Amino acid sequence: MTEQAALEVKNLHVAYGAKQVVQDVSLKFPARQITAMIGASGSGKSTVLRSLNRMNDDLATVTGTINFHGLNINQPDVNVYRVRQRIGMVFQQPTPFPLSIYENVIYGLRLAGERDRRVLDQRVEESLRQAALWDEVKDQLKASALALSGGQQQRLCIARTLAVRPEIILMDEPTSALDPVSTSQIEETLVQLKEQFTIIMVTHNMQQASRSADWTAFMHQGRLVEFGPTAQIFMNPQEEQTADYLSGKFG
Amino acid sequence: MDELKKQLTTASAESRQEWRGKLISYLAIVIIGGLVATILLFLTSKGLALFTKDGYSLGTFLTSSNWQPSHHFYGALPMIVTSFAVTLLAGIVALPLALVSAVAITEMLPKRANQWIQPVIELLVGVPSVVYGYVGLTVIVPRLGQLFGGTGFGILAATCVLFLMVLPTMTSMTIDNLRRVPKEYRLASAGLGATRWQTISRVVIPSAKGGILTAMIFGMARAFGEALAVQMVIGNAAVMPDGLMSSAATLTSVLTTGIGNTVMGTTSNNALWSLALILLLMSLAFNLLLRLAARKGEH
Amino acid sequence: MRAEKVDKIATTVVLALAGLTGLAVVSFLVYLLVVGLPNVSWHFLFSPAESFKSGGGIRDQLFNSLYLVVLTMLVSVPLALCAAIYLSEYAPQNRLTALLRLAIEVLSSLPSVVIGLFGYLVFVLQFGLDFSLLAGALALTILNLPLLTRSCEDALRQVPALQRQAGLGLGMSKWRVTTKIVLPAALSGIITGAILSAGRIFGEAAALIYTAGQSAPAISYTDWNPFSPTSFLNPLRPAETLAVHIWKVNSEGLVPDARAVSNGSAAVLIITILAFNLLARLVGSLIKRRLAK
Repeated sequence: MTEQAALEVKNLHVAYGAKQVVQDVSLKFPARQITAMIGASGSGKSTVLRSLNRMNDDLATVTGTINFHGLNINQPDVNVYRVRQRIGMVFQQPTPFPLSIYENVIYGLRLAGERDRRVLDQRVEESLRQAALWDEVKDQLKASALALSGGQQQRLCIARTLAVRPEIILMDEPTSALDPVSTSQIEETLVQLKEQFTIIMVTHNMQQASRSADWTAFMHQGRLVEFGPTAQIFMNPQEEQTADYLSGKFG
Repeated sequence: MDELKKQLTTASAESRQEWRGKLISYLAIVIIGGLVATILLFLTSKGLALFTKDGYSLGTFLTSSNWQPSHHFYGALPMIVTSFAVTLLAGIVALPLALVSAVAITEMLPKRANQWIQPVIELLVGVPSVVYGYVGLTVIVPRLGQLFGGTGFGILAATCVLFLMVLPTMTSMTIDNLRRVPKEYRLASAGLGATRWQTISRVVIPSAKGGILTAMIFGMARAFGEALAVQMVIGNAAVMPDGLMSSAATLTSVLTTGIGNTVMGTTSNNALWSLALILLLMSLAFNLLLRLAARKGEH
Repeated sequence: MRAEKVDKIATTVVLALAGLTGLAVVSFLVYLLVVGLPNVSWHFLFSPAESFKSGGGIRDQLFNSLYLVVLTMLVSVPLALCAAIYLSEYAPQNRLTALLRLAIEVLSSLPSVVIGLFGYLVFVLQFGLDFSLLAGALALTILNLPLLTRSCEDALRQVPALQRQAGLGLGMSKWRVTTKIVLPAALSGIITGAILSAGRIFGEAAALIYTAGQSAPAISYTDWNPFSPTSFLNPLRPAETLAVHIWKVNSEGLVPDARAVSNGSAAVLIITILAFNLLARLVGSLIKRRLAK
């Protein structure tokens, strides 16, 4: 593996109360690539994803190390808010706030205290272009974000995450609530985004993983079963469980 | 064929039953609708009698501050001003505290605390207003008298009582509205690196602002219409208040004490019904405000 | 670190203010119970009130309050339920329905003193009922209708549409679907709402002082003939309730132990309201559990 790792997870365990849901996962996410995490519901893939930017802090006990630029960010004295600005997250359901499109995009910048109008204007255009939404909304930036279609809302949420210029974007089944046309638009967007960002995506959709991901991690019952280049995982899985899952024997 | 046609087009037990049921439910709603119309009609005609039958000037009624029924002066301004004053004061004090309590309960305190808080709030919402008035009379009025001199009766005492009375209602409505904010908003905001307070102040409260406004108006409408609790502590002097500690009278308190002491159909009785009409019109106005706030909340 | 510091400060301030508010409100309740409960005894609950000397009880007021609740519920529950059935099952989406909804909303926003005055005007004077339980019950019905209708409608609406369709598909009439399928499914919500509203009217006073009146004449609990003027069941006798009693004793009363009587009455009122609330929860969960079986 010659790729440079953007994030390295070592011996990650996650428990909800007494229930272990993720056991001993170790994984290196390559920089500026799309990594898909696949597996049946309850396999722990979303839990791993949420642990990467400490979104599980209030819900679960997460042990193990998560190295980001040589720093273990899974430590109590690490500033989780800063972590989440560097490692952004896009959720399953589009979650625009009941604000204008413009205000939605700059939400994270405002949190960081950015006030300069020019910077904000420029960042809104930049992020909306990156999320391939600019042309559709440039004339209605002041309109309520809730008036957008589901696919547009999700791209707005991507733009909102991009606006704080994170290095890594975590996506939790970002297209599962969308129609096929919106889904393919978002997949195209992702391919463009990986030139600048590292993307880690949980998906239920095998085609989506095989179409857009460079790397694929397969999880089963809280453990990482197999990780490798997407082509290899899909064409020539090394583990029997992976093959069974891909051929639809369970899941 | 004809047999079938006949069977399908004639009434059956089922269709007769449907007809009867429909009639019953129509009747119920018509009764309620008619009741509301009757109330509005009766109170309006009684309330206008002072001006139509007794020929009293509407302008004087609304702008004069001289209320002396025994001398045929019917200036309602002191009561109108006092009613608004105690309502606004109580609302202004109660809103931030209701909001703060609701935020603490929904966003900060552990869920387990709710098992205790919820029933207590429900109980407080149900405590009869007379009890609030009674506590005002026996606890708040004497304390205010000690603190500021005088009798303790007056605007401030009424404000305190109304504040205590509307706080639980406003808090519980605000809680409902904050709970209605999708939890995804909170997650998404946290995912962008927001602290809890940033999420509360920038997403949760703005999303619920229509509902919070509704809660405030609702509480104030209740305060405006409250009669006995206010009557017990305000001192009942139908004069223009000149300070927080001055005795005064609200529309409701004058009505409460007056209706039993006047004879139906006399001018001084009609003047009281005119006060009731103002009360009615104000509750309609609050209703309108509530609708506007609710519409605002939808966006 | 600025945002985090703000977060810490804001959290502290919010919790402190909420804590103080909670403390004030809880001490209000505790105060009422602490000064009130020592006055509550069997003698207090079961002897009649005195007009001029101390030592009076609240027997008649307590009974009047409960009887009034029963009378009010007898009128308002069927009316509110049928109106709610109309609104949730039959009402077309048109102007008339919107107007009816508006009317109910207006009714719910009327101050109780205004409803009391209307009751005085119409039931007491026009209908010639005088100050009586019946006039009071009718006034309370007006007060109770809007909220009860809404809670019934909410309960009916929570029944899934699929269950209605299943019934209609079997050739049942809409009315039969409503009474046989929807009503049973909505029962726990309806009963919970009814009990809560009963608690609300139990403590109502402003709507009653000019309808049910402010006096409690001597009544006989052995006279079961509702038409006899001294019978406790007679709906045409004037009846001061517990809440009115507290007001009356404190604003115009002549009894020397007004404080003790009101403290005790307030405690009894609060405990009864608490009982209504607990009962509503209990009944709601019991029925839900039975339906789940």
